[in-house]
Amino acid sequence: MIRFFTLLFFLVSNSIFTILEIEILKGSDNLSKVAFVPFGAEEGFEEDYGEQISRYVEKNMLLFGEFENLDKSEMLSYPSSENDFFYRDWKVLGVDYSVIGKVNSVNALGNLNISYFLFNINRRIKILEGEIIGNEDNIEDISKIISNRIYEQITGLRGIFDTKLAYVVNSDADTYQMCISDIDGKNEQILFTSKAPIMSPDWSPDRKKIAYVSFENGLAEIFIQDLQSGKRDSIQALGMTNSAPVWSPDGKSLALVVSFSGNPDIFLYSINSKRLIRLTNHYGIDTEPSWSPDSKKIIFTSDRSGSPQLYEINTKSKRKKRLTRDGNYNARGRYFPDGKSIFFVHGNDGNFQIATKKLSSRYIETLTSTSLDESPTISPNGNIIIYATKDGSNGYLGGITLDGKSRFSLPVKNGSVREPAWSPLLN
Amino acid sequence: MEPIGIFILAMLCQVYSCAANVSDSVERMQYASVAGDEYLQEEKLETNLDDKVYFDFDKSTLDAEDKNLLEQYLPEIKKAKIVRLEGHCDERGTREYNLALGERRALEVRDFLVVKGVSGKKIRVVSFGEEKPLKNASNEKAWAENRRVEISLY
Amino acid sequence: MNRTLTSLNTFFLVLLFLSLIFSMFSVPNLNIDEKQSIKINFYELIQQDELLFDSPASNTLIKKETKKTSAINEKINADETSIISKFKINKLDLKNEITKIKLSKEREDILRVSVIIQERISSIWIKPNSLSESLIAKVLINLAPSGEILNFSLIEPSSNTSFNESILTAMNKITFVEEVLSLERKLFEQNFRNFNLVFKSSGEIE
Repeated sequence: MIRFFTLLFFLVSNSIFTILEIEILKGSDNLSKVAFVPFGAEEGFEEDYGEQISRYVEKNMLLFGEFENLDKSEMLSYPSSENDFFYRDWKVLGVDYSVIGKVNSVNALGNLNISYFLFNINRRIKILEGEIIGNEDNIEDISKIISNRIYEQITGLRGIFDTKLAYVVNSDADTYQMCISDIDGKNEQILFTSKAPIMSPDWSPDRKKIAYVSFENGLAEIFIQDLQSGKRDSIQALGMTNSAPVWSPDGKSLALVVSFSGNPDIFLYSINSKRLIRLTNHYGIDTEPSWSPDSKKIIFTSDRSGSPQLYEINTKSKRKKRLTRDGNYNARGRYFPDGKSIFFVHGNDGNFQIATKKLSSRYIETLTSTSLDESPTISPNGNIIIYATKDGSNGYLGGITLDGKSRFSLPVKNGSVREPAWSPLLN
Repeated sequence: MEPIGIFILAMLCQVYSCAANVSDSVERMQYASVAGDEYLQEEKLETNLDDKVYFDFDKSTLDAEDKNLLEQYLPEIKKAKIVRLEGHCDERGTREYNLALGERRALEVRDFLVVKGVSGKKIRVVSFGEEKPLKNASNEKAWAENRRVEISLY
Repeated sequence: MNRTLTSLNTFFLVLLFLSLIFSMFSVPNLNIDEKQSIKINFYELIQQDELLFDSPASNTLIKKETKKTSAINEKINADETSIISKFKINKLDLKNEITKIKLSKEREDILRVSVIIQERISSIWIKPNSLSESLIAKVLINLAPSGEILNFSLIEPSSNTSFNESILTAMNKITFVEEVLSLERKLFEQNFRNFNLVFKSSGEIE
């Protein structure tokens, strides 16, 4: 009796409360429009620090084509505090977010106190407010921090404006340079110059060292260079080829490839004890290892099936799993920072492009449409991939945001640029 | 008496260090010597043969033409002290994989020579992957020229 | 005492049963998704069956006739008589067929307006990127018959703050849904006075 009662009640309530539901699965292809208002500044500064800071922040935020900006000449007002801020002035210009701020001097030593605000114009609310103490000498660094905070508030992703890029420049037939620079290409430093090729740079998780391959002694040899001291240590020529070094997430070991007697296999090398532990043992080519973010697995390239494909090995159990089947060339696999997807080089009819694949799915998605793409590296927030490609005979770095909305290329250097490696976040 | 004692001690030390070296993998020594550019101390022998063997894309097998060329090399090789085989690839594909592929190509040539009676100890194998192309263009012709093993005799 | 309780029980049961029957006669509700497939819920199916046996009730569905529908009705009536005379078809069956056509026209209208709304929202919603998780958020919209958005609220937020905030930002960008003006008042009241927007992120890399 009661069961019938409740069933009836359920049926009735269901019919009374059904409501039309419209699903929204797609978003707009447009970019958010951000207004970077020149920061207000105290009278009496030698330089217009307010204008400088907002200009740096604007340049940073626009670097990868993720936002649209409002031209200063179109701004209806230049508020520098909440009291002067009127949403109407920005809503009418189609602005989605506004950044304002003020620079105050603290003392005669050039110390500055910078306050900044971020407003969501559509929701008519202030969504961020902050204060930074800096100095006239490090305006650019302060601007990077402010850019990071604003970026994080708008997108929910970590800001990467203070990260660095390592890459190899081949300026002529006999000159190879291992370089690092800021993410916008500024402050380039040459770490090492050689007459012999340099390959495969990889950052240590603490950003203090870079491992790379150098042919200075006539064969492929792995070196670790300390960025602070400039000191270089070789991991001794162990086999006829020693290459593809990648740091473990805890910074204590490297996965690398050694070819003893002509068979390249993956090994784990402990930095402290210098012990080498074998991970793969197959007569095929096993190379290009990379760690999963949780350190439990290593992805690698192997041609054991007849052509290069991606595999995954569990570092504890040594169990292997094949990851790619589509196409006859899938190599140089790397994990996304969330560990759920991978990106790699996918060969398709003679074209080599950057592709991604969710670990839980079969389907490969190609990201690039040029044909000689290689060495992809991902930003630590998982949003941008930079890779090496060619234009005629000159190599340069291209990039793409993962939502596909923006493609860009990095400024050309004196020479062929390749093998980019994105540094981790400064924690 | 004393100098003889010192002499014996010195001999013992020598023997001990030799033993220590031998306990390292023999192969380790073989490649370490390449690293030491030991071959450069020798003079390069000139031959009037084309010093390159070519390969197909993503392949490391020797075809009849390659084998023919190598056969012609045999008399020169027998005279030489060191045979250096340098493996290379074209720019397509990933660099590290190409490093391994270049090595495999050089090893194919080595294996062929060994089968033909050349002593393995004479042969040095190095791979440069795609890092040292002969031709810097991005077309089939350039790629075909870059997929090679270079033979140098010392 | 027992007897009053039992009779009360039966009374409530009868009441519930009646309301169940009554609810079945309301206009079918539709879930519209991107592929424009219409999920017809079971009430509509029952309703169609009911119609075959009870034609007068079907005419109560459409109370207000706009110019368009009255024109259609006239035309249908004219066709009706001609077809009947030509084929000597049972008038009752024909009427039922026509009612079904009117019903599907209503469904078409709802679908049409829903798709327009869906496209408008999609064109202003700037989705946060690189969300590798599958997310769902629901917004309840209250519309006035003029199309003005009286109120919206995030009744079921997702687990991701940026996703939720992007939805609220998008909702703040529209004030009017003019498309509902083209609907019959009854259709509007039953479907668009209050309706939900379900925002989904597939978690796929775009």
